[in-house]
Amino acid sequence: MRHRAVHPAHLVLGLVVWAVWFVAMYGGLSVACAVAPPPVADGALTWVNGLLLLLTAFTAAALLYAAWRCWLAARAEDDVSGDARSRFIPVVSATVHLSAAMAVLAIGVPTIVLPPCP
Amino acid sequence: MTDRDPDFSDRVTRLERVWANLPGLGTLAAVNHTTVGLRFMVTGAAFFLVGGLLAMLMRTQLALPEQDIISPEIYGQLFTMHGTVMMFLFAIPILEGLGLYMIPKLIGARDLVFPRISAFGYYCYLFGGLIILSSLFLGIAPDAGWFMYTPLSGEEFSPGPGSDFWLLGITFVEISAMAAGIELTVSILRERANGMSLSRMPLFCWYILAMALMIVFGFPPLILASVLLEVERAAGLPFFDVAGGGDPVLWQHLFWLFGHPEVYIIFLPAAGIVSTLIPVFAQRPIVGYRWIVLSIILTGFISFGLWVHHMFTVGIPLLAQAFFSVASMLVAVPTGIQIFAWLATLWTGRVIFSLPMLWIFGFLVVFVGGGLTGVMLALVPFNWQVHDTHFVVAHLHYVLVGGMLFPLMAGLYYWLPLLTGRMPSESLGRLGFWLFFIGFNATFLLMHLTGLRGMPRRVYSYEAGLGWDWLNLLSSVGGFILAAGVAVIIIDVILHLRYGRRAPRNPWRADTLEWALDKPPPTYNFVSLPTFRTRHPLWEHPELPESIASGQHALAGAEHDRRETYGSDAVTGKVREVFHLPSNSWLPLLAALSLAVVCVALLVRTYDVALVGVVAAAVFLLRWGWVNGAHPGMAPLSNDEPTDPPLHSRTTDGPGLWGMVVTLMANGTLYLCLIFGWVYLWTVAPEWVFPEDPRLPLSGMLVSGGLLVIAALLQHRAAKRLAAGNAAGLQARLWQAAGLGAAHFAVLLWLTLEAPLEPTGNSHDAVLLMLLIYLLFHGALAALLTAMQALRVARGYIGVRLPYEPVVLRPLWIYTTGIFWLGVVIFILLPAGWAP
Repeated sequence: MRHRAVHPAHLVLGLVVWAVWFVAMYGGLSVACAVAPPPVADGALTWVNGLLLLLTAFTAAALLYAAWRCWLAARAEDDVSGDARSRFIPVVSATVHLSAAMAVLAIGVPTIVLPPCP
Repeated sequence: MTDRDPDFSDRVTRLERVWANLPGLGTLAAVNHTTVGLRFMVTGAAFFLVGGLLAMLMRTQLALPEQDIISPEIYGQLFTMHGTVMMFLFAIPILEGLGLYMIPKLIGARDLVFPRISAFGYYCYLFGGLIILSSLFLGIAPDAGWFMYTPLSGEEFSPGPGSDFWLLGITFVEISAMAAGIELTVSILRERANGMSLSRMPLFCWYILAMALMIVFGFPPLILASVLLEVERAAGLPFFDVAGGGDPVLWQHLFWLFGHPEVYIIFLPAAGIVSTLIPVFAQRPIVGYRWIVLSIILTGFISFGLWVHHMFTVGIPLLAQAFFSVASMLVAVPTGIQIFAWLATLWTGRVIFSLPMLWIFGFLVVFVGGGLTGVMLALVPFNWQVHDTHFVVAHLHYVLVGGMLFPLMAGLYYWLPLLTGRMPSESLGRLGFWLFFIGFNATFLLMHLTGLRGMPRRVYSYEAGLGWDWLNLLSSVGGFILAAGVAVIIIDVILHLRYGRRAPRNPWRADTLEWALDKPPPTYNFVSLPTFRTRHPLWEHPELPESIASGQHALAGAEHDRRETYGSDAVTGKVREVFHLPSNSWLPLLAALSLAVVCVALLVRTYDVALVGVVAAAVFLLRWGWVNGAHPGMAPLSNDEPTDPPLHSRTTDGPGLWGMVVTLMANGTLYLCLIFGWVYLWTVAPEWVFPEDPRLPLSGMLVSGGLLVIAALLQHRAAKRLAAGNAAGLQARLWQAAGLGAAHFAVLLWLTLEAPLEPTGNSHDAVLLMLLIYLLFHGALAALLTAMQALRVARGYIGVRLPYEPVVLRPLWIYTTGIFWLGVVIFILLPAGWAP
């Protein structure tokens, strides 16, 4: 049976998740600051930063898991077909998921140090 | 080729007849991709010369301090039009043209999947471009900068028609971009030669696929913004006016949501040229094919997450700026991957330093420079310091000219023998390159310093003694050297048409399929369609040109006297259908002309004439939709039809369905931008207020939405039954769906007319009115097209053997239903439950 992670949608799925996460981070931050801005004196230790960090950690973990699944799919594909070209989609998909996870972590890092609203 | 048997010669003659353009003026009805692609490129080149002329006028004015050769008013028009022409009328269209011209030749197809849409797109581009350009000659050109920031571009500060020319003209031109985006996406996914799986696809196709999809998602924000600003200027709906509850920063968000991805929309196809040429001249396959595919995908996505770095100075929270700052630096990573892959290919190859490679060399130097200053600008504190200075102007020219024009020139010299059958002059070409390269760097390298010394952009003059004098003078001298380089290149291209030596079959010993064609290529490209087993067909099968031309592969000739090519699986490239394609047609030209009338009528605000234009365009477009499928003008039913593979209009998964889905993806992006505008104004605009009483009765919306849901279900059921081979009651069901859709439209129209909206008084009502117009348009369109399909059932164009068209329309019904209910939730229920 072919692995589900060989579907070509995985070529973009990781970055679609990244895009949704990015919009949620920016949009969530903007709405939070408009509706209930935390005191400036709290610095980065605010509920807004906490929620954004949680979202970042959860998204990155999900993407890393997806990358691992695609990598497993690539190896399984290799065993089934023996043709390196059939690994193309799962291998590229795994790197896309991994890159998306790295992008999530890199962009999410500032929430540790910067206050949310000023 | 001289020893063809008579039968085969007849088949080729027939193929040529079927694919020929009409003679004389009839050539305006041409739809084939070779002709349309060339027209795009030639027109784009002409606009480039106009944009370049404007630049030279500006450099003349700035050469010395305190000059008054050009007035500040004209200078404002010059820099606005220079940016507008170069970005919208040159860079994007010429690359679209290159994509339209090259893609079928690279993927082993005879034409693109929607040839009439390509032709329509070209005429929209041409007419839109001429309308914008005419404002310059009338002395009423836009002067608010190429990104048209509000409130400067609004009615109060730009009362003349200049901004209207920009808004209407650019929206008109953007139709062509959307057309190319949809056309290229579907063609690359569904029209590749047998066996050309995704992993065997030429890298250029990956780049163009990414570009096309970026157009699909990147252009709708600007289309929406342009429509909103034009409506604000013409009718006073306050979307960007603070006093009316709007916000000018909303324009910046929408513009840069388009504007930053646009940089990569321009860069990616150019990088595709680089990835195509470097392996050829290094005489080895590219290093890191998968890595390059990965970096294309990464660039396509991450470039959408950078738009706020154009807005670091407008007062956005530091944390949000940090998100965009990091994303702006991250986008350099996939670009770096590509550069290292190119360098590794050159390092491990045996490089031939011919003329196209000279331009690739120029690209590497200039673009890497632009990329480095891009990373500098991603840093917020540095960005604040140099914002709106000549440093930014220098950076963007390094990125855009380095990242687009240098590769484009490499591509011009590389593919010129294919286009004309003749080789350009090596000596003139090298002279042109060096003049261009030296002139460019003299102009813009120094401009970095001018900017660091504090010279703001968009000033028509400056005082002497500020430290800018000699830098500006040298920049202007460099500009003229660059212009001399362009002149030499033009002379070279013109001379080569007559004096260039005849090009051999594969002059650069390239690996890709376009070099298997005759030069210049015939309108049908391939006499027969080959099967692929490799990424490098001409390196591994050098006999391909002969075997293709002698009809040894599939679909040789034009047996049914219609234009045909293969349709294939999007992933494996395995052949699934025969696509029958439209022949020459006047409808694209007539539809585009009608829209040009609309555009001009809106400019002079004669709305009755605009309405006539809209009706005419609708008639031509509906006629276009009518001449499809089994219509006698396309592929009528017959007893000797191909069945293995079948004609696409006899299946339920042809290119029209893919085109519909991709179109709705673009449409959905526009709708999401409208929702973004609503939420943005709600949360940010200082004067935004919710009216005390709800504008739309929920009960009425539920009735209208209920009718829509039933209509959509009926249409869905009709399409599903037909796909299963059951046409009983088909026509009645389609009429019922159309009728219920019309009832939905009527109820919604009544609710809109009865609503106590004050769209000119507050932005809440203004945005709500735009939503209602959007929903009304989709409701009417779905009902109208379904009624048309019911008529087509009666004519025998839809039936058990022809189940295709209702399947194509089904996503539109689903979309229309989805946006209606999403609109109810976001625009009615959410404010009712949450707003103060």
